[in-house]
Amino acid sequence: MITNSTFLICLAGSIIGLLAGFLMHRSDYCVAGMFRDAFLFRKTFMLRSLALQVVTTLVFFEIFRALGLLPLYPFPTLGFASAATIIGGFIFGIGMVMAGGCVVGTLYKMGAGSVVSAMAFIGLIVGSALYAEVHPWWASFMKATTFFQPAKTLPGLFEINPAFILLPTTCVAILIFIKWQRENKFVRQSEVKGYIQPWKTAVTLALLSLLAYALIGMPLGITTTYAKIAAMIETLLIPEHIGTVSFFQLTPLNIIHPSSGALLQGGPGPHIDSTWAIQFPLIAGIVLGSTLSAVLLGEFSIQYRIPPVQLCMALSGGILLGVASRMSQGCNVWHLMGGLPILALQSLVFILGLLPGTWIGSKIVSHIILKQTMRSTDDR
Amino acid sequence: MTSEQVTPKLINLDMRGQVCPACLLVAMDALNRHREALNNGQETLCIKTDNREATSTIPTTARSMGYLATVTRIDSFYQISIGRFITESRE
Repeated sequence: MITNSTFLICLAGSIIGLLAGFLMHRSDYCVAGMFRDAFLFRKTFMLRSLALQVVTTLVFFEIFRALGLLPLYPFPTLGFASAATIIGGFIFGIGMVMAGGCVVGTLYKMGAGSVVSAMAFIGLIVGSALYAEVHPWWASFMKATTFFQPAKTLPGLFEINPAFILLPTTCVAILIFIKWQRENKFVRQSEVKGYIQPWKTAVTLALLSLLAYALIGMPLGITTTYAKIAAMIETLLIPEHIGTVSFFQLTPLNIIHPSSGALLQGGPGPHIDSTWAIQFPLIAGIVLGSTLSAVLLGEFSIQYRIPPVQLCMALSGGILLGVASRMSQGCNVWHLMGGLPILALQSLVFILGLLPGTWIGSKIVSHIILKQTMRSTDDR
Repeated sequence: MTSEQVTPKLINLDMRGQVCPACLLVAMDALNRHREALNNGQETLCIKTDNREATSTIPTTARSMGYLATVTRIDSFYQISIGRFITESRE
């Protein structure tokens, strides 16, 4: 709809990002934390909101698809399911727990002043740069282990109308949500200033995802731009090297948007292209939206006195996230909030890897933190 | 004999800026370690955190273990106090 104006694409991305960042900070809407706390503490409160978000998104997408408002379906740059996606999801799961946030969680936490998340952010860029070096090898592995081709979605695999799967799924989900609602399981008491119940953030994020899909042609995604930032830094530092890295020459986004006729072209290379226009304003928006929220609450603060082991852990986690999001061609937000609602096979197998990864990540992190606490208590 | 057996004592945990879920993990660890003294009312656990999520999860956990827990906003962070008689000492 707005794809023939780069300015409007950037504007839409910034507004979506600002809103998302603001709300995520208010509700502490951390996807990594949702899975981690379910494994570590059997606390599933936040996970319920995530389920609500996925199902709401699913309903929105399906209504718009049925009305013919989503001409690009499935959306562009969505790949095929492969063993590579499962492995990527697994590493991603470990990484996001170690980093203390996923690729988006890292942004909103950094926006509120977290030094740990800033380390994870650096790790994400380093990880993306590292992946670029091994891309040819990984790409051939991905190709060799692809399955379900040429289907990209579950309905596509069975060659049926998506509604046949989505409708019963939604009905069951709604029944469960009504039960949770009756048991008061969607709201909780919070004593923090300006708390927004996570279910409200969940529904708003579903709306924002729909807005992005309807306006730009794709749901929310940001990780290609991490690779792009890595490429830009490499251009400054080692310009002779960048030309030899095949990954940076790719243009996975290469479509003519059917409703505007605009050419959308972009990839991880160090150029200002459509990928940049779609993703960068979103990234900046999330960081600044969270900063805005924190400043308004008087909660913005930068704490430097952090155990070094945690900084190392966040950096390593960030590197794993950077590598893994390229290995599986998308991050958790892309797969959970974009791919899963259209039952993309790639997203389904990503989650298959993500869950055990998060479980192992949780074990690693609790071990490291408790060991470090024990040591610091002994010092006293 | 250590001093904590003689006078009520504040156990301070400054978790500001630390990675999630360090705050909850360390708090639970401290709750276990100081169980006896907390139960006797000889100690109060005092956690400083800037993690918004922790201000819900820690008091919930502490209350389920039978303690009283309060959350107070101080400057840019939150202070969570946990103990047997914490409410009496505040009001």
